[in-house]
Amino acid sequence: MEFAIISTLNGVTYGLLLFMVSAGLTLIFGMMGVLNFAHASFYMLGAYVAYAVSSIFGFWTGILVAPIVVGLVGMAVERFLLPRVHAHGHAHELLLTFGLALIIEELIKLFFGDFPVNYQMPEALRFSAFEIFGTGYPFYRMFIGAVAVIMFTVLWLLLTRTRTGIVVRAAERLPQMAEALGHNIPIVFMFVFGTGAALAGLAGAVAGAFYPTNPNMGIELGVIVFVVVVVGGLGSLKGSLVASLLIGLFSSFAVGLDWSIASMFDVVGLGDWARSVGGLLTLELSSVSATIPFALMLIVLLVRPAGLMGERN
Amino acid sequence: MTKFAFGAAMALGAGTLGAATSQAEPLKIGIIESLSGSQTSTGRLYARAVKYGVDRINAAGGFNGEPVQVTEYDNAGGASEAADKFRQAVADGINIIIQGASSAIAGQLTEDVRKHNLRNPGKEMIFMNLGGEAMELTGDKCQFYHFRFTTTAPMRITALVNAMKKSDALGSKAYAINQNYSWGKDVQAAVEAAASEGGYEVVGEVLHDVNKIQDFAPFVARIKSAEPDTVFTGNWSNDLLLLMKATGDAGLDVTFATTFLDQPGNIANAGQTALGHYIANNYDNAATPTNEFPEAYKAATGAYPIFVEGHSTFALGQLQEALSTLDFKGGDINVTDIAMALENSVYQSPLGPISVRKEDHQTIRPVVVSKVVKGAKYPADGTDMGFETVEVIPGEKAIYPVQDNCQMKRPNA
Amino acid sequence: MTSIQKILLALLLVLLIAVPPFLGLGWQNALINVLISSLFALAFNLLNGQAGLLSFGHAAYFGVGAFAALHLMIAVEDGLFFPTPLLPLAGGLAGLVVGVVAGYFSTMRSGVYFALVTLAIAELFHSLAPHLEGTFGGEAGVSSMRMPWMGFGFGTIIEVYYLTLGWVVLCGLALWAYTRTPFGRLTLALRDNEQRVKFLGYNAHYAKVIVFAVSAMMTGVAGALLAISNETANYSLFSGSVSAQVVLQTFVGGSTVFFGPVIGATVFTLFSFLISDLTRSWLFYQGLIFVLVMLYAPTGIGGVIDHHIRNRRQLDLAKIGGPYLVALGGGILIAAGTVFLTESAEVLFGQDYAMARDGAAGGFPAYDLFGLSWSPLNPVTWLVPLVLLCGGVFILIRARRVIDRLWARKDEATTDDMTVGAGGKE
Repeated sequence: MEFAIISTLNGVTYGLLLFMVSAGLTLIFGMMGVLNFAHASFYMLGAYVAYAVSSIFGFWTGILVAPIVVGLVGMAVERFLLPRVHAHGHAHELLLTFGLALIIEELIKLFFGDFPVNYQMPEALRFSAFEIFGTGYPFYRMFIGAVAVIMFTVLWLLLTRTRTGIVVRAAERLPQMAEALGHNIPIVFMFVFGTGAALAGLAGAVAGAFYPTNPNMGIELGVIVFVVVVVGGLGSLKGSLVASLLIGLFSSFAVGLDWSIASMFDVVGLGDWARSVGGLLTLELSSVSATIPFALMLIVLLVRPAGLMGERN
Repeated sequence: MTKFAFGAAMALGAGTLGAATSQAEPLKIGIIESLSGSQTSTGRLYARAVKYGVDRINAAGGFNGEPVQVTEYDNAGGASEAADKFRQAVADGINIIIQGASSAIAGQLTEDVRKHNLRNPGKEMIFMNLGGEAMELTGDKCQFYHFRFTTTAPMRITALVNAMKKSDALGSKAYAINQNYSWGKDVQAAVEAAASEGGYEVVGEVLHDVNKIQDFAPFVARIKSAEPDTVFTGNWSNDLLLLMKATGDAGLDVTFATTFLDQPGNIANAGQTALGHYIANNYDNAATPTNEFPEAYKAATGAYPIFVEGHSTFALGQLQEALSTLDFKGGDINVTDIAMALENSVYQSPLGPISVRKEDHQTIRPVVVSKVVKGAKYPADGTDMGFETVEVIPGEKAIYPVQDNCQMKRPNA
Repeated sequence: MTSIQKILLALLLVLLIAVPPFLGLGWQNALINVLISSLFALAFNLLNGQAGLLSFGHAAYFGVGAFAALHLMIAVEDGLFFPTPLLPLAGGLAGLVVGVVAGYFSTMRSGVYFALVTLAIAELFHSLAPHLEGTFGGEAGVSSMRMPWMGFGFGTIIEVYYLTLGWVVLCGLALWAYTRTPFGRLTLALRDNEQRVKFLGYNAHYAKVIVFAVSAMMTGVAGALLAISNETANYSLFSGSVSAQVVLQTFVGGSTVFFGPVIGATVFTLFSFLISDLTRSWLFYQGLIFVLVMLYAPTGIGGVIDHHIRNRRQLDLAKIGGPYLVALGGGILIAAGTVFLTESAEVLFGQDYAMARDGAAGGFPAYDLFGLSWSPLNPVTWLVPLVLLCGGVFILIRARRVIDRLWARKDEATTDDMTVGAGGKE
């Protein structure tokens, strides 16, 4: 029982963190059909910028400045770099963002070193939100979750209730039509890319104080974020939220469960046989908890590529 | 045409003969390290310490009438790049290869060295392993030309158990959380094996994916439900950091017995959570009886030795010890003789004697057990915390038995 | 292929056969890696350039080929009779089998989704492999030793080189021949308009699976060659960076030209061989080169060369040679400035400098670079890269204008000139 409740809490907060990063990615893909490989690098960039700023001006300034800086970087990328390769197709855009991811990672290593940096949350936030089963539940986790929820709400309201939002959604559906109606589509694209990047930067700034801020955080999170975006449906914000929670919960629960295929065979009495075969059959769920999301992504891609809630195919 | 060729051959021959008599063969050391990629910070520490050790040898006159030469090769943290650099080292005439940052690369290099020595009798190379702690390197893969100048999982765990038990910090229930690869499994096995000696019960153990877990909270929940007193872990880098952070956040009251808490950045990142936890390693500044060694190191390189630098310097010191017993009189260097000399060498490190066990070429060496405290003599990572020595376990007590699967083939001396 | 191209290739082959025994071990090893990467890139481009299917997970088949070859080598070590030079067949077979299965599922999707499926498959291998120690050997991997055969010891690097050269030339010829077959043409058709292919009566899905399988088979051979050369393999062969490297190499070399990937593989492998021990920022330079090629030469080096070859009769080569040299000069200046800034940053932000600063009581001591001493406080230190960069950019822009004008003139000349395809090209 305790395990279930704690795992649920952890899963939800981790899932919300994944959502913060994947929201921007799914928006960008939905809008421009560009799978931004540099998105996880924006996350990392946000953490490092927040670290650099907060060590001089304080934590809250860091959190404020980081998304703005990363958003500007995103806008610059969309304005100056992506249009050049647009004519050569999606593959080239993909590869360009991939190259950018490499460059950002190497630049960060150049300036900040190849090891974790000491980006900490402020003392004011370092307390337990509540006591559960004898141990405290850190408030900062809830803080991350809260930021994610606020972000989702703001985005949702922006997209559905404002004029800008309507224009953005129109540009996603039928860009040429929207342009014919007089809207400045390139500016819209730039704005969306910048916002997506800023969201990732915010996620990095907030999460970097909790998780270690190091040059590998981009790669580590990057692949999982792809899984989330695919499973949720490329382009769907709601799908991204659902998929993030799903994967977050799954990762949390899986590490506590020592199930294996062999142990399932125990039910029919073939457990010992399965164990003697070894290999895949004896792999425990807890050991391969990081592998399952890829299997899930594969299944979704093959069975229902639109993902749980996506519309495009 | 043949006359020309003959003349050229004579000239070449005369040239090389002249060269041989006029210039002694220098000893060439190659550091094949992770100088870029994710393990860079560790790799560069190894490189720095080795260079310091070589400088000390050269300051004492070098070897064979020439200064010892050191070349760095960057393996970028990858095994196949390491193989490439190994070939480059062979091409450059390197006699001794040194590596420390990765057990996997150590596994690769020891095999490369073994095959090279088989195929090129007379041009053997030695592999000085400063950091690969996988048991198989002195087990299944043991070979005459490999020397391990560091601890292994059983040595560290034995030391931790002994020291913590003596200072009453061990408790009666232990949990082992480790990374799911050879090192982690070695640690887990060592924790199980030391249970009776330590007087504790292993109440739970888990292996997790290496460097993939972002959120250790679920593992902390599992640990908590087992209610241990001590948590043993061989985790390093992110895996250790995240584990400790998650434990601190959950307010879980356990003592950590670690092996890599002194990795640069860990103390700073863990903050207050690190206080009161234990580590077993090859060297710590606070464990030296006088501060002669740390001060000398600082004078030469600009900072006190941290993490892997201490024992790497000792390894070079041991090499120096071995070389002092040899005299090639300015002629060709016989690497097998160097290996023999290394086998018989005993190095008096500031922490105690280090000798080489002939059966598997594991060094019998003291292991330091320390605790993280505030206001330590040598603060770590620019914080106010550092390591305080609990006990230095002498080599004979910390060593593990020779593994059955080590069948070392000795050269026909 | 024109006769000139055939002569050039023959010349290259002769050089590749005759020169290496005189090179040092380091170079011989580098050439082996160049050959292996070239085959890998060629196999990848079969799928990418010709069938239009961008795969982000080709490392899976590379790794599978390597492990298959190693297990066969272990069997040979234990007494099984199998000629060492035929070992890559195991890699090819393994690649083929896995390729058929993986291809069947991947080709159910297209475009970005296809790329993601291939990525997922490779990541699946990458995360499962460490757990299947019997097959993949844990993090130390599987290792073996090349066994002698028919008098050849295969103990020296040069023997391995010739073995690799033989196989790469064989597979390269096979891939080239493939493009000349009707099925090769069908592959191009799949890229251009899959629906039409279906209308012509072909089963497009099965056709794609076959292409995928052939690509995976050749990739498996490349993996096997790596295993033979290194005598070891571990699960890091399945990692995303291996898949990424082949993508980078192919696109920098040019995916639209058959030999483009070879050029890219050669450039990247030699770059890392020569530069990786000189500077620790070489990954950054690699990424920078890739991005620049993507932006300014999207068809890759091979594409640019091909473009020039196709237009050599219309272009006034004498006139354009000068501006090209000037542009090259500008590029070199920019490169020099960038390298200066990067290496300076490497030093200034490094730990050694931080300690030097502590020693100088918080000041900014001078640092050594390229054999000279530079002070961060001296404006000259920053003027140097500034001048290099600005000068380079200025020269490059001016030269580009001239070059663009000459190319535009060529286009005008072509439209004026009514004879199309002058001379026997292609």
